[in-house]
Amino acid sequence: MSLDIRPTLSALLRNRTGAVLVATQVAIALAVLVNAAYIIMQRIEKIHRPTGIDEQNILVIESAGFTDRFHQTASVEEDLRYLRGVSGVVAATASNSIPLSNGGNSDSLVTRPDAPRPGYINDMEIDEQGLDTLGVKLVAGRNFRHDEVQPPLTRTDASHFVPVIIVSRELGEYLFPGQNPLGKQVWSAFNHAATIVGVVDPIMGTFPGSDHPDRMFFLPRLPDEFIVCRYWVRTRPGQLDTVARLVESHLARSNPDRVIDFVRPLTYFKNRSYLGDSSMEIFLLTVTALVIAVTSLGVFALATFNVSTRTKQIGTRRAVGARRGDIVRYFMVENGLITGAGILTGCALAFAAGYWLSVQYALPRLDLYYLVGGVLALWGIGQLAAWQPARRAAAVPPSVATRTV
Amino acid sequence: MLKMHDVSKIYRTDLIETYALRRFSLEVTPGEFVAITGPSGSGKTTFLNVAGLLEEFDSGSYLLEGRDVRSLSDNERSQLRNERIGFIFQSFNLIPDLDVYDNVEVPLRYRRLSGADRRERIGSALELVGLASRARHMPSQLSGGQQQRVAIARAIAGDPAFLLADEPTGNLDSLMSRQVLDLLEQINEMGTTILLVTHDPELARRAQRNVHLVDGQISDFRAYEPHPAVAAGLGSTGAAGA
Amino acid sequence: MLGYYLRLALKSFGRNPGITALMVLAIALGIAVCVMTLTVYHAMSGNPIWWKNDRLYAVTMDNWDPNHPLMPDSDLPPHEMTYKDTQFLFASNIPLRKVVMYPTLGVISEAGAEPPTQVFTRVTTADFFAMFEAPFLYGNGWSASADKPPQPVIVLSRAENDKLFGGANSVGRTLRWDDHEFRVIGVLNDWFPRPRFYDLNNAAFREPDATYIPYGWGSELQLLNEGESDCWRPEKLDNYKDYEASDCVWQQMWVELPDAATRERFQSFMDGYWAEQRKAGRFQRPKNNRLTDVAQWLRDNQVVDNDNRVLVGLAFAFLALCLINAVGLLLAKFLNGASVTGIRRALGASRRQIFAQLLIEVGVVSVLGALLGLALAALGLVAVHHLYAAASLGERGGYQELTHFDVVGVVWAVILAVAATFAAGLYPAWRIGRLSPATYLKSQ
Repeated sequence: MSLDIRPTLSALLRNRTGAVLVATQVAIALAVLVNAAYIIMQRIEKIHRPTGIDEQNILVIESAGFTDRFHQTASVEEDLRYLRGVSGVVAATASNSIPLSNGGNSDSLVTRPDAPRPGYINDMEIDEQGLDTLGVKLVAGRNFRHDEVQPPLTRTDASHFVPVIIVSRELGEYLFPGQNPLGKQVWSAFNHAATIVGVVDPIMGTFPGSDHPDRMFFLPRLPDEFIVCRYWVRTRPGQLDTVARLVESHLARSNPDRVIDFVRPLTYFKNRSYLGDSSMEIFLLTVTALVIAVTSLGVFALATFNVSTRTKQIGTRRAVGARRGDIVRYFMVENGLITGAGILTGCALAFAAGYWLSVQYALPRLDLYYLVGGVLALWGIGQLAAWQPARRAAAVPPSVATRTV
Repeated sequence: MLKMHDVSKIYRTDLIETYALRRFSLEVTPGEFVAITGPSGSGKTTFLNVAGLLEEFDSGSYLLEGRDVRSLSDNERSQLRNERIGFIFQSFNLIPDLDVYDNVEVPLRYRRLSGADRRERIGSALELVGLASRARHMPSQLSGGQQQRVAIARAIAGDPAFLLADEPTGNLDSLMSRQVLDLLEQINEMGTTILLVTHDPELARRAQRNVHLVDGQISDFRAYEPHPAVAAGLGSTGAAGA
Repeated sequence: MLGYYLRLALKSFGRNPGITALMVLAIALGIAVCVMTLTVYHAMSGNPIWWKNDRLYAVTMDNWDPNHPLMPDSDLPPHEMTYKDTQFLFASNIPLRKVVMYPTLGVISEAGAEPPTQVFTRVTTADFFAMFEAPFLYGNGWSASADKPPQPVIVLSRAENDKLFGGANSVGRTLRWDDHEFRVIGVLNDWFPRPRFYDLNNAAFREPDATYIPYGWGSELQLLNEGESDCWRPEKLDNYKDYEASDCVWQQMWVELPDAATRERFQSFMDGYWAEQRKAGRFQRPKNNRLTDVAQWLRDNQVVDNDNRVLVGLAFAFLALCLINAVGLLLAKFLNGASVTGIRRALGASRRQIFAQLLIEVGVVSVLGALLGLALAALGLVAVHHLYAAASLGERGGYQELTHFDVVGVVWAVILAVAATFAAGLYPAWRIGRLSPATYLKSQ
């Protein structure tokens, strides 16, 4: 079954305008599709990075003392005692921050006293139930002990550090490349030393948008006295809402010197942090769908136009012996050449766009798989759009050839 | 070779029923040059379409080279048209975006011949019609007479059993018409059967036999006397040179 | 003739409703996506106070670690200042207006019937409201004399006033802020600059603060900063007073300098202070005393999201796609009607008249496409707003600015739409006008 490409191509080159218009559309469509798919995949991967946290089952409760009578440590002890006793609660801890919320604390750590400070590292305050509350796995070392949990920083004393910390595997690798971080010491900004007693992995800190969201450490310390306190409460699967309602109504009344700002699931903060990414995803998906629709329309319109202006020619071909299938093949081949030309140009465009994106916005270079996928998809779409006009062409009766109008 | 018996074709609308062909019968033997004449509206075009397998008919029988065409599938009809019939149309029907060579090649492509085979056939066909030097020209660069000769080349390149010509000189001046007719006679002498449909009695005179159609029926089955020169076996004068 | 051509155009559309609808839709889609993206881009990274861009300046100096910049990959000084430095610079009379401020948290109680809630409170000097043109619904801000010693007055945002006092004129009423009595002296009107250009360190797109109190209260009540603060030196930081004395950066400073001369004077003033302090051992990094206008401030803080810029490129690519599509459809439509055109030419129409007639058709299609596109864009933006609002549950405000076109933007969008479509239609109209009549009078 020959494709008769050469004469089809010759004819096409002599009457180029429609073909050029459609090929250009296909080229633009390929460039857009490939890069959009790539960006979408990047975002999806970003959102699905493992956090190590049992997000679905964790509540965050924010408590703010506001009178002079308020005493943070006593309040925290009382609240934790209550929370840990609620049925359906697996573990609870008090902290100064909220994981995955794009807001939080950082401290600088160095591996030698008085060494120059390379930057800030995300950290979170917890007590001995912190790791269990998050559901994070220790891959080395041990958890904090109750006696290691330090009293909170106060308005009159804000510089003490802790004797021990637990680091993420990434942080351990960053501070001590190639070595086991367990047992090593680090120094804080105030030149206090702490020993690393545990390593967790995977884990994500409070800044999912940062370059190294998994570079963080835990401090065993009650939440600072002069900030709001955030309780993390882990519930049994399916019990989140029940526990939330219960604890909210109790805690709102149990202490008149403080106000409960909110009781929210941890997923609320995570979704909000990734709002930009998920919006981008939706926008790109919409535009991708529109691009496919518009390009298909263009291909379809040109094919229909070609068929309707060539009825005499179709009749003649049929008269000299073309079968219906030959007519379909003729139009499909012609369309294939146009789509093919567009795809070739589009490849160059896609690469150029991908390269520019990677240079301008420090995105990783476009993966070849996406290009191949885009080529195949667009080819299929282009041929599909021309199928119905081609079928209609085959239905033109041979007697058209002898008509004189 | 061609046997039509009591063929009828009816065009129906909601209001009227028209018999384009009414119990039409015709026999053509191989090598004949037959002219089908008649005024406009007499059914000539319908006859052409039916004879050329371009349209189906409603009743009667049509045997082409012994085969009953009513039993043929659409693909088989296409194949027959491709291999056994050559068409020449009043308005030439060349494909405007293809050059002369590619136009002549069209039916050969549908026959799946090898490239070399096609080249040879096209070459001899263009030689015969005298347009070998214009093989790469576009139809828009040729005169009407030249375009029709290209169409003839297209029709004969596949070595058909018979040619069906529909008013082949209708769009040509008298000089070009004569050239085209000479060519047709030449082809007929080489053994190809020719059915010529025309309303021009002068043209019809060049054929061996006339069939006169009125209202879809044969009104005159006169066998026409052959041209004296032809009868004398001298062949026609004036080859189809430009 | 114009009316005649219009009638012809409309008749032509009536004969070919399908292809006309497709053309208009293709153009409308391209324009809708483009306008939507540009609006989002403009809303998210535009300069909300662009008319004052040549007068407002963020003040920053580099007091950081001589061995390391605060931000490793840039030559920018820290975004905030130390208490010592802002106090000194604030004393200058050179600026027309000056603001030093920082955010803190406070709990409001005994206001109306509401239970106590915690709110963001901006501790700021008096010029804040005039400098950043925060509009007042009731009352007004405080004067400079109320900053030090600080008067117990408080300004509420409109949303906060709605919550506490049901939207009534609460000027003169009292409430307790962190258990101290304050008197309401002003309520702001709706004000939601996007981004929150005067405080980009703390959630640039969060709604403005709920309450504002005079700057002196920071020191008086030892109110710790709830916004970003950074420290580089090991020093004693046991309490609020230590923070005031430290080299930690946690205060924001802005000045209004109405002309170049004033700006130069203030710059020299800053440089002079810097030189003096350097001799005393501070400011050991290279001199980097900056007065940054808002537009540059937004860039420095990377508020112009990479994401959005990619989207803009994408939107224009899509518009190009749609316009090329429309050109193809127009061409096909005109070619299909070419025999009629041939007849007109045979009857005496000149090339220019044919061209004009077809251009009118193009014009009508482009206007229709533009109108439909703008309508679709408005719908789309409402959808985007709901998308963001739904995800920001609990946060008041949301991205409502996305549903408001600014007038300038709309005008530009309309111009863009019609111009682009018109340009797209020029080629097909010219092509048809050029054809010789004979070509299309004959049959195919």
